[in-house]
Amino acid sequence: MVSEEFSLNGKTALVAGDSRFWSKHVADALAEAGADVAIAASSSQRLKEATAEAERLGRKAVTIPTDMTDPSQVNNMVEQAVADLGKIDILVNAADLEFARPFLEITQDEWQQVMDANLNSIFYSCQVAGKHMLSAKKGRIVNIISCLAERGLSHGSAYCVSMGGVLQLTRALALEWAREGITVNAIGTGWFAETDRTGALDEDRLLRYLPLKRYGHPSEIGSMVVYLASDTTDFVTGQFFYADGGLMAHA
Amino acid sequence: MSQSELKDRVTVITGGGTGLGKAMALALAKAGSDIVVAARRTGPIEQTAREVTDLGRKALAVSTDVTDSRQVNHLIETTLSEMGKLDILINNAGIVRGQGRKPIWEITDDEWHLGINTNLTGAFFCCRAVSQYFIERKSGKVINVASGEGLRGVRGNYMYCCAKGGVIQLTRTLAITWAQDNIKVNCIVPGFVDVRELQPEARPQMSPEVAATIQARGAFIPVGHFGCAADIAYLALFLASDASDYITGGIFAADGGGLAGGTTTTGHAPTIPIKEE
Repeated sequence: MVSEEFSLNGKTALVAGDSRFWSKHVADALAEAGADVAIAASSSQRLKEATAEAERLGRKAVTIPTDMTDPSQVNNMVEQAVADLGKIDILVNAADLEFARPFLEITQDEWQQVMDANLNSIFYSCQVAGKHMLSAKKGRIVNIISCLAERGLSHGSAYCVSMGGVLQLTRALALEWAREGITVNAIGTGWFAETDRTGALDEDRLLRYLPLKRYGHPSEIGSMVVYLASDTTDFVTGQFFYADGGLMAHA
Repeated sequence: MSQSELKDRVTVITGGGTGLGKAMALALAKAGSDIVVAARRTGPIEQTAREVTDLGRKALAVSTDVTDSRQVNHLIETTLSEMGKLDILINNAGIVRGQGRKPIWEITDDEWHLGINTNLTGAFFCCRAVSQYFIERKSGKVINVASGEGLRGVRGNYMYCCAKGGVIQLTRTLAITWAQDNIKVNCIVPGFVDVRELQPEARPQMSPEVAATIQARGAFIPVGHFGCAADIAYLALFLASDASDYITGGIFAADGGGLAGGTTTTGHAPTIPIKEE
């Protein structure tokens, strides 16, 4: 049961992007807290399954097939969500394209694809959904990104740049809209998996790199999204909160 | 957020007699936790304990000076013997006294030690006192309270900046050291918060001068106003609950956007001129 302080009863949420199949778990958490949800991502069987739990909980739940790299489709996504749910109180950006290659081998096309998928898509969705939130004088934007927004990684130049870009967008937008009733925060994710993969990793690597010694489950991102989406966070904006099992506290 | 309730938990909170500490104690009690309130003065902690009891939870007030490790050990021993267990420790005790615009050569040894001991050493003593118990039972949550001044420098605030920066590093060190024992250690960074109000709508009557000061200073905060104690209390509730079980070593600011930008702890260029005090 969700404490009343964190209740999202009567609110609506748009979860945009589902590259890692986490959106279902984020949507489940939002629905459990009381929100109606829309999930937008490239059309897939997974997307169709993603709203089952929210519907079982009696919430309105819709899916909107969307290519997040296409600005006109992102525009349609937001308009569709507003048409279906009546409004957008909460925007969760969950786009993510993993990419690793030695720096000199990255083509211009590849670089562009990573920026389009991870950074530009969020620029589009914040701009379109932000217009609705500005006229409502209230809104919550939560960007789910990687902790690599703040740390470098060999062969990760394009990915790290794209994630760092979203983090800086989060901070700058938080300040720009601070007096408009809109909060903008980011969640930094570490190692997550839908299934328990602990056994697949050797003990030394887990001990050395992952203090909690287990992968997170995507539902554990969902609980932080609910906190940041709730009415308890009026004073929390422009922040980068880690959900990472202690990864970023490590040297 | 399916496990945001704290039914049958026991929480120790230092500096729990007034302000943020009291707000956190009541928020956690409302969520179901029994509360042990510690601070030096007995009057305020007994008042907090009464309000916890009014919410239907067990409460205990233990007069404690966190700068004295014997008193801290006594606090934890009393908690375990009276309440039977301990689940959550909130290190909130702190002072801002003894800083200000004083030049560094006028700061006495005693002032330095008092600032460091209350804000940093007290948290260390409390963590040390619960360490073996938490490690043995393979669970526990620690929430430290730091400040934006632990992340950015502030002119003339030697003890406070150093101590709060130390609290942040204590958080990270404990988090990675205790992670394998399933103990979560996180840190709250409150921004400018008017601790007298638990809820914005419950703002007590204040003098026009105080109201004007708060309004003027609020202009330096990106959201345009001070926070209230509830803003911090709900963050503590989230970090104390099972909903944050994958989160450790985190530094969580609730500061109206201050640390997102700028070069000061308020992080904002207000439209009113800055006056030297």
